[in-house]
Amino acid sequence: MPKLSWLAIKKRITLLMIIVALSAVGLAGRLAYIQLVKHSFYLAKGLEQRLRPIPIDAYRGTIRDANGEVLAESRSAAAVFAIPIEVKDPQGTALKLAPILDLDYDFLYQRLTKRSAAEWLKKRMSDEEARRVTELELPGIGVVENPVRHYPMGSIAPQILGLVGVDNQGLEGIELYYDKELRGTPGRLLVERDASGRQIPHGVQQYIPPVDGYDLTLTIDHNIQRIAQREVERAVAETGSRKGLIMIMNPKTGAILAAAQVPTYDITNHQAYPPENRRLMAVTDPYEPGSSFKAVTAAAALEEGVASLNRSFFDPGYMIVSGWRIKCWNRGGHGPQTFVQTLENSCNPVYATLGIELGAERFYDYMMRFGLGKRLGLDFPGEAPGKIRPPGPDVPLVTWANIGFGQGLMVTPMQLLCAFAAIANGGKLMRPYLVEEIRDRSGKLIKKTEPQVIRQVVSKETADITRMMLRSVVARGSGKRAEAPGYPVAGKTGTAQLVEGGRYSHSKVASSFVGFAPADDPVMAGTLVLWEPGGAFYGGIIAAPVFSRLVAQVLPAMGVKPQPTKRTSGQHVVEVRLPSLRGYSVEEAQRTLTQMGLLTSVMGGGDQVLAQVPAEGAEVPRGTRVILYTDPLAVLEEGLIAPLTAEANWPSILPQLP
Amino acid sequence: MDRKLLRKLDFALLALVGVLLIFGLVMVYSATQSGVHHDPQDPLASLKRQLRWCLVGLCAMGLLLGLDYRVLEKYARLLYGATVIGLALVWVLGLRAGGSQRWLRLGGFSFQPSEFAKIVVIISLARYLSEREEPDWESLRELVGPFAYVGLPTILVLLQPDLGSALVFVGILFGMLAIAGAKLRHLAGIVAAGLLGTVFLVLLAGQGYYPLLKEYQIKRLMVFINPYSDKMGAGWNVIQSMIAVGSGGFFGKGLLAGSQVQLNFLPAHHTDFIFSVVGEELGFIGAFTLLVLYYLLLRRGVKIIAAAKDEFGRLIAAGVVSMLLFHIAINVGMTLGLAPVTGIPLPFISYGGSSLITNLIGIGLLLNVYMRRQKINF
Repeated sequence: MPKLSWLAIKKRITLLMIIVALSAVGLAGRLAYIQLVKHSFYLAKGLEQRLRPIPIDAYRGTIRDANGEVLAESRSAAAVFAIPIEVKDPQGTALKLAPILDLDYDFLYQRLTKRSAAEWLKKRMSDEEARRVTELELPGIGVVENPVRHYPMGSIAPQILGLVGVDNQGLEGIELYYDKELRGTPGRLLVERDASGRQIPHGVQQYIPPVDGYDLTLTIDHNIQRIAQREVERAVAETGSRKGLIMIMNPKTGAILAAAQVPTYDITNHQAYPPENRRLMAVTDPYEPGSSFKAVTAAAALEEGVASLNRSFFDPGYMIVSGWRIKCWNRGGHGPQTFVQTLENSCNPVYATLGIELGAERFYDYMMRFGLGKRLGLDFPGEAPGKIRPPGPDVPLVTWANIGFGQGLMVTPMQLLCAFAAIANGGKLMRPYLVEEIRDRSGKLIKKTEPQVIRQVVSKETADITRMMLRSVVARGSGKRAEAPGYPVAGKTGTAQLVEGGRYSHSKVASSFVGFAPADDPVMAGTLVLWEPGGAFYGGIIAAPVFSRLVAQVLPAMGVKPQPTKRTSGQHVVEVRLPSLRGYSVEEAQRTLTQMGLLTSVMGGGDQVLAQVPAEGAEVPRGTRVILYTDPLAVLEEGLIAPLTAEANWPSILPQLP
Repeated sequence: MDRKLLRKLDFALLALVGVLLIFGLVMVYSATQSGVHHDPQDPLASLKRQLRWCLVGLCAMGLLLGLDYRVLEKYARLLYGATVIGLALVWVLGLRAGGSQRWLRLGGFSFQPSEFAKIVVIISLARYLSEREEPDWESLRELVGPFAYVGLPTILVLLQPDLGSALVFVGILFGMLAIAGAKLRHLAGIVAAGLLGTVFLVLLAGQGYYPLLKEYQIKRLMVFINPYSDKMGAGWNVIQSMIAVGSGGFFGKGLLAGSQVQLNFLPAHHTDFIFSVVGEELGFIGAFTLLVLYYLLLRRGVKIIAAAKDEFGRLIAAGVVSMLLFHIAINVGMTLGLAPVTGIPLPFISYGGSSLITNLIGIGLLLNVYMRRQKINF
């Protein structure tokens, strides 16, 4: 075949020319598209990658108590930072700054030479420190105002508030739970930088102001909180308890009014305290409630028709459940009792029987309905669910008998308080809450918490009967010492042995009182728990009088006027001081007390007085009934510490915790 | 050289090259005044080196004019052999830079044999094709020879690895074959097969296999499809380049004022990505002007192909035009996100001696062929 003709070659050359032209047109078209059509898009993209934002903290919202008193607010404090790349002389700079900032030279030098855009050297500086740093005019060193948490009323309910970190972030408590609302939106200082992060001289600087956080109003009332804190501290000190707590709520709404505890900490100087003091025990620490739980059993039994006010009970002093012997603390038994009396007497066999008669499924269901053993939805981090074993083939009958009188389940103090509040509130279980409302900085309402009924746990009728029974416990039964002058109190004491090494301890108990007042129209419900009260024969019995003092102070603070009572009606009252009767024979003790014009009751079938109520040294009016305890189980039941010699008589029914 | 011959010089082409060289020196200056390529002791160091190479290239070009291109036919085999050995030497004792081995040191100079190899391939392929008395283009077998001829240096370049230069060799081969008379459908078929093969390789890479091409090369192909698939890695260059060009707008940000360039967001901005600098600092006006200059240059080149006195000259011109076209299209296309990043310089503008001198020798060949053209004009 011959070579191509000139014509064919010309065609090929023309084709090449076309390709050249098409390439040129294509590239020019693409160039025009990128440079002219998409110009602003790429311009913005370029600026975006050169701008490195420096965050500026927003003003953190204020937290107020129910009365509008400021509990926590943000104030600005100076903070010093370094831009390492602009620091000319790191050694000299560190040397000059170290004495002013009271910081280590090596620490400063290391920060000043770090490969980063900016480094904080010290936050929360005093104005004096800030002024001296500013005067030095060191290159690469700057001072800015940063918000810092401030507590104008001191350390009020520190566990509820919780700490705020140096970067303005909530770490615990309400500050953590509502961090998003409180924190606001940080602003930004945009500074133009090159590819390796260096600030560009004369580059773009843009300030985007931060958006302030929202303010919170708590349900906590600082007056009630102070009362509660004072009383719990006094109770723990007087009983030698290891720790203790008080929580008070409004039974009608679920609003938490106070949560005090020992040990606590000072929120303005938290480093001085161990971190566990910052836990809100009422919410995070489940305990075994003991007898106070009988109110729940009673309500469930009433609602299910298992018990009624007309049913009479007989307590022979013990009962046998699948081989386990459940003893009543009153050795001889309470004999025939009305249903109301069973609660007044806190009779274990009766409530064990009710637990069995309700049956695992029904009983468990009621506990769940009362909000026990699961989280109630408090607006607070770290709420513990507690623990109640669900029914199953592996759960023995005796478990439900034990739970009947408050053993073998773990609930948080707040859960049992809410259950009592439901009884006080006509059977309506309210969701507990801590934040009343959220407002923005200008005062505009953002969110208001409406009281929320979780469920009608039992009928109003059942709740009212149970409420009356609890009133009777204080008026006539084991809770007598909780009565407050002018305010009818309802409630129930409880004592539970603590578990040590998987077994119930013989000497360590948690004593409690859960109740509400005034009994006919409760506006406050409260719980007091004391762990490991010590002392010779003092014990959890002190829980009831603490509740009395609490009611006597909290209700007036809430504006509830006292009702006229015999005590306050002007009668002349002669008070006598009680001697210690411990170790006396029953006859000796009775003779001594009768001579003093006092009445006596003997609990248990023993010959020797092991403990007494009221306690030694108490000033009581003539005619007061003094209870003499002769049975170790009774002592345990009432939270009194039994003498060690009585150990042989300890009940043998102690079950293992599930 | 007689005056008559000098009068037949293509002054338009010469002028275009002159303008391009000045354009390039200005851009190299602007691209080396900050960042990694900036020498605070001598801010003009890069510019001076580029200027020196420019003069060397122009001298080489001038010397070449005195020599009738037909003499080259005799030395084609020798040059080819020397080049293949040179490329093989790079493989054995070359200098490494940026992950590949492309440089050879000779005396005090280091250079890239793969650049000069382009000229040698053009000359020796032109000799091979023009010496075929009766080529049977109907048969695919006719293509075996040329492919083998170009294939050997191409594979050696690919081994360095220098995918960009290897592609330029393929571009030269196809351009010259088309002008020599090969069946267009054959050429189109081979191109299509090559594209399909590349797609296949990318798909294999997706499964974790990397035959023939290195992982980073496949990655570049993939980021060509979507630069944001590897934003901080292989896609970075393309993204930064397009931001540079796009943010330049119509008038540009001015010399020394391109933030993408001067703040070092754009890598290799004085070499492979110098077109992005033009786009950012001189805007659409500058970049479009540059494209027009290239178009006019290639137009002159195509005219020279047509004006060549014999097939050898015609094929040499076709080779040089193909080489320049390929360089420009791939490089500019790469900066505009139209072609994968292969790392080939922009003729006459990019900083770099081997490339600049090679291109000027190419221009010298074009001028040579035109000077000794036929009487009849295209």
